[in-house]
Amino acid sequence: MAVPATHIGGKVAVRGGTAAGLRRVLGPDHRMGYLFVTPIVLLVLSLVAYPFSYAIYLSMTYKLVGLPPVFVGFENYVRLSWDGFFQRAVVNSFVFTFGSVGFKLVLGVVMALVLTSPIRWRSFWTGVLLIPWVAPTVVSALNFLWIFDGSLGVLNYVLVRVLRVMPQGVGWLSEPGTAMASVVAVNIWRGFPFFGISFLAGMKAIPGELYEAAAVDGAGTLQRFRHVTLPGLKNIMIIVVLLSTIWTFNDFQIVYILTRGGPGGTTMVMPVLTYETAFGAQRLGEAIAVALYLLPALAVTIMVLARYMRKGRKR
Amino acid sequence: MTRTRVGTVQTSLSYGVLVALAFLVLFPFYWMTVTSFKSEEQMRSLVSMFWPRPLVGENYGQLVAKTDFLKWYGNSATVAISSTLLATAVGTVGAYALARLRFLGRGFMASATLITYLVPPSILFIPLYAQMRSLGLANSLGGLIAAYPSFTVPFVTWLLMGYFESIPEELEEAAMIDGATRFGAFYKIVLPLSAPGVLAAGLYAFTQAWNEFLYALVFITDGKLRTLPVGLASFITGDVYGWGYLMAGAVLTTLPVIAAYIYLQKYMVEGLTAGSVKG
Repeated sequence: MAVPATHIGGKVAVRGGTAAGLRRVLGPDHRMGYLFVTPIVLLVLSLVAYPFSYAIYLSMTYKLVGLPPVFVGFENYVRLSWDGFFQRAVVNSFVFTFGSVGFKLVLGVVMALVLTSPIRWRSFWTGVLLIPWVAPTVVSALNFLWIFDGSLGVLNYVLVRVLRVMPQGVGWLSEPGTAMASVVAVNIWRGFPFFGISFLAGMKAIPGELYEAAAVDGAGTLQRFRHVTLPGLKNIMIIVVLLSTIWTFNDFQIVYILTRGGPGGTTMVMPVLTYETAFGAQRLGEAIAVALYLLPALAVTIMVLARYMRKGRKR
Repeated sequence: MTRTRVGTVQTSLSYGVLVALAFLVLFPFYWMTVTSFKSEEQMRSLVSMFWPRPLVGENYGQLVAKTDFLKWYGNSATVAISSTLLATAVGTVGAYALARLRFLGRGFMASATLITYLVPPSILFIPLYAQMRSLGLANSLGGLIAAYPSFTVPFVTWLLMGYFESIPEELEEAAMIDGATRFGAFYKIVLPLSAPGVLAAGLYAFTQAWNEFLYALVFITDGKLRTLPVGLASFITGDVYGWGYLMAGAVLTTLPVIAAYIYLQKYMVEGLTAGSVKG
């Protein structure tokens, strides 16, 4: 930090004149800076910003696949608001998301706690518990489709024939009473390791002196957890919960593979409804309106989350 | 005395929880592997549930001979490797600029990249599909290679920004006092030091692209051009519901990801925690 800013990248400064003026306005490293960010800017504009704007436009049109869009304003949104099936999908999405995120939070804390306790082969255990997070989600979903299978699935086999706690098997994914709980369980299984590994990193960053001081003051294990660990994890918890809320709300593959929204719409969540409206019913405008219906809430979540993530970095 | 006893109880409790969690995590993979070696008759008759008897390889044979599985493998490899190389190259230079260089608009671009990372694919897949169609890239691997940077690049960039910020700035300043250019300092000092971070970011980009489902499902209509996840999922909509070869395919799809993960676990765990949340 001892080097004055003008010495860095010195050559340009000596030339003076307009170059110096440019440097003052655009910053000392602007040439290399703009060169290096150009690819990202182009990609973000063409693959995210443009499609996103186009999505907003399409959601205000009546558009069938292969035909030109007809502008209809907010009609798609208004119609959806009164559509019972859509309303149920919104409720299902919230149940799916908050059910999953709540359990992932608890399991994540448990995972981080056991991984910070004095155990052997810590990195082995960490590695094993992270596997659901790196394995292909489609594969995991197919595995659970097979495990939950009503007639040949191993879950029913264990419950009925090995443990004998049930007289007969359950169609976990095909009965309205169990389908939602089953897809939530798979989402929890896949997502809790990310919570655990993030909290683990957060716990390692809490200074050991804080625990020692608390112990000297007579705090027991639970009190130390309550007054040192939890406050130390607060920021990371906010970040991870918000991230996971966005991801879970928009999770498509698990529900699509396990139930496709069935039986009878009991697990129909918004991303699957978007897909079915677009490629089943071929109504593109309405489909995008489904996807964008909660955009204001998503935008607020993203803004808050981005703020926390940037703040987390600056510490 | 009581203190150590409390400690022992806590440690045994930890092991108990670890074993239970590990069981939950590993069972589906164990079950997938066992199923892939079972014969059709054994599966229907529910005998010797937890071990294949006889242990047969016919599911793998069928998978290779009767389906387009090997083609899908090649497609997935092509798409994942190309988009990983692209994302890592673009993300590395971009992340360096956003983390270190001083120029007008840097803060805004850094925020924009992060926000892009958070925009979910379920919003983008329909307009992206329309875009690829008008470019003539729908139903081609090129369309997927073009679309995957929408999520791999922002992720790699965000991860590496954190990595570059953790490298002391004094190293580059010293090099530049010794006559290195700004680019030279990046190329000769920062890049070699960040090799583990770049490797981790590349691996994550690879697994994300290898595992991607929604875009591949929507963009590709030709059965031979499918990627592995979509190909596997197509088995359950077909009329033949062969769990044996479906699970054989699942095993082979998981292998490269898990192999890379076991081999490079240290970098991936560190990279994830450094890049996503840690300060």
